[in-house]
Amino acid sequence: MTVRRGVVYDLGYVRYDGPRLGRRGAVTATVRDGVFRILGFRRKARHKILPFFLLALAVLPAVAFVGFSFLLSNFAPDAESPFGGHAEYFSLIGTTVLLFVALAAPELLIPDRRYGVLSVYSSRPLLPDDYVWARFGSLLAVLSLFLLVPQFLMYVGFSALTGETLMGELIARAGEIPKIVLTAAVYALAYAPPAFLVAAYAKRKAVASGVYLAVMLVGMGLVAGIVQATVLPGHRFAALAALIEHPNYVRDWIYGRSATQELIVSQAGFAPWVSAVMIVTVAGVSLLLVLRRYRRSM
Amino acid sequence: MDQPAIETRGLSHAYGTVVALHDVDLRIPPGRVGLVGANGAGKTTLIRILLGMLTPTRGAAEVFGLDTRTHELEVRARVGYMPEGNCLPPDQTAADFLIYAAALGGLPSRAARQRASDVLTLVGLEEERFRPLGGFSTGMKQRTKLAQAIVHDPELVFLDEPTAGLDPEGRDEMLELISRLGSFGIDVLVSSHVLGDIERTCDWVVMLEGGRVLRSGPLASLVDVDTVEIDLIDDPEPLMTVLAAAGAEVERSGTRLVVTADGKDPFLLVRDALADTGTGIRSMGPRSTSLEDVFLAVEGSR
Repeated sequence: MTVRRGVVYDLGYVRYDGPRLGRRGAVTATVRDGVFRILGFRRKARHKILPFFLLALAVLPAVAFVGFSFLLSNFAPDAESPFGGHAEYFSLIGTTVLLFVALAAPELLIPDRRYGVLSVYSSRPLLPDDYVWARFGSLLAVLSLFLLVPQFLMYVGFSALTGETLMGELIARAGEIPKIVLTAAVYALAYAPPAFLVAAYAKRKAVASGVYLAVMLVGMGLVAGIVQATVLPGHRFAALAALIEHPNYVRDWIYGRSATQELIVSQAGFAPWVSAVMIVTVAGVSLLLVLRRYRRSM
Repeated sequence: MDQPAIETRGLSHAYGTVVALHDVDLRIPPGRVGLVGANGAGKTTLIRILLGMLTPTRGAAEVFGLDTRTHELEVRARVGYMPEGNCLPPDQTAADFLIYAAALGGLPSRAARQRASDVLTLVGLEEERFRPLGGFSTGMKQRTKLAQAIVHDPELVFLDEPTAGLDPEGRDEMLELISRLGSFGIDVLVSSHVLGDIERTCDWVVMLEGGRVLRSGPLASLVDVDTVEIDLIDDPEPLMTVLAAAGAEVERSGTRLVVTADGKDPFLLVRDALADTGTGIRSMGPRSTSLEDVFLAVEGSR
């Protein structure tokens, strides 16, 4: 009887002769890795807890609002409704988004520097600018989940509840979409670049998160004190340092709402466009400084 | 030499007032090349310039005929790099990191996964592929670093002190892997301050000292077998006299003689002299000049 035996072939090293994606492939890989890193994918379960908890905090209220509106037969997603409208929702999740950015930006930048991984990037077809923009792209991609997903859930949900037909109502309310996207971009641009800047220079993730939150939250308290208590000439300009308030002021501008006097920048007498300019300026300067840092170290 | 893999012309680099490389001219062929020098000799600086990570203060460097200042992306698409320091994220598994390293090298996702698996097997880490890198021993980390340098199948790989921190067994395994790279068709530039490592793995040597090139050439031409060493039973004097008369140069240390003969075969001279004098010997054999001898001799002559 013949016994069949398996044969093991040692193929040794096999050269790769398939397609190479070059710089485009390297950038795509960096963005994808950034998204995975922020959300804790390919890492232990504990790394997933915080980002998904914050994502749930950002998205679940929208689901709940649509559900309750259905139960209460209140289908008007505007400022007068018990749950507010699209503009109010940005305020509602503002702190959640801020906390997420405070955690995500250091996670994207600091481990690569701390563990020497930058030397791997430097040996691949990837420029320092590519690395910075790819990492920033990762942050924006995940931020869009926080800022856009709940808004579109509300948009579709309320459309389904109010209109004769879903499609008809979606079209009738299509004017909301540019406002939602523009406001989301304003929040992302106001929150993400300063966090990136801090993370680009801090050595520890916890320090970076702490410094960023201090600048954004505690800094606002200081600014409010200066604006209200100081009698020095020009003290109102201190209001421009209230970075966390600028997106709220611009959001009100986008939605055509009168500025609330709760906002320090409004109290200080600045027009909303000044806040828009501040957001763009701070974002631009922050990203330039991050690029400068990485052009020197990669 | 046809097309050199690496060429530098008047290459200089300074960090502020500290000169790391000074007027380095090199033409290095494909193959396994050793970059030898003490710490601070300029080895890492040269590698970083060749990768386009540093812009030289003066001069030019080319890899595969591509200027590293203007074509760094094309160069990097064709090379790999194993840095001397750490480059491994501790919270990622070896498999995930290798897949990512391959994708960064431009490989599509599916090919990256396949290559990562193959290369981890090649470096002997197939059993450890799903363990976080933070728990790896020094030897496993070094092998992972080598794996990330070749996972995208480069034509040339730069290895910066690949045996640093390894125990003798780990060093042996690493040198064996480096030796095999040549048979895979991957050219290697390996930097080390351990001359024995270079002798075991390379066929071309570049010696650097203080940012200058001491020697650059085939290993065989630097470490010729041109000397005979004899251990004598009888009095060495008669033999030394005959050898000196025949034009050999003889160094004596007790009953041991080291014989060299410029332009002649020292074995033949010793054979004839032994026959003439009837001197008894305990042993006789070639004495190869080690890379260390060459390095010390060149350094001493400066």
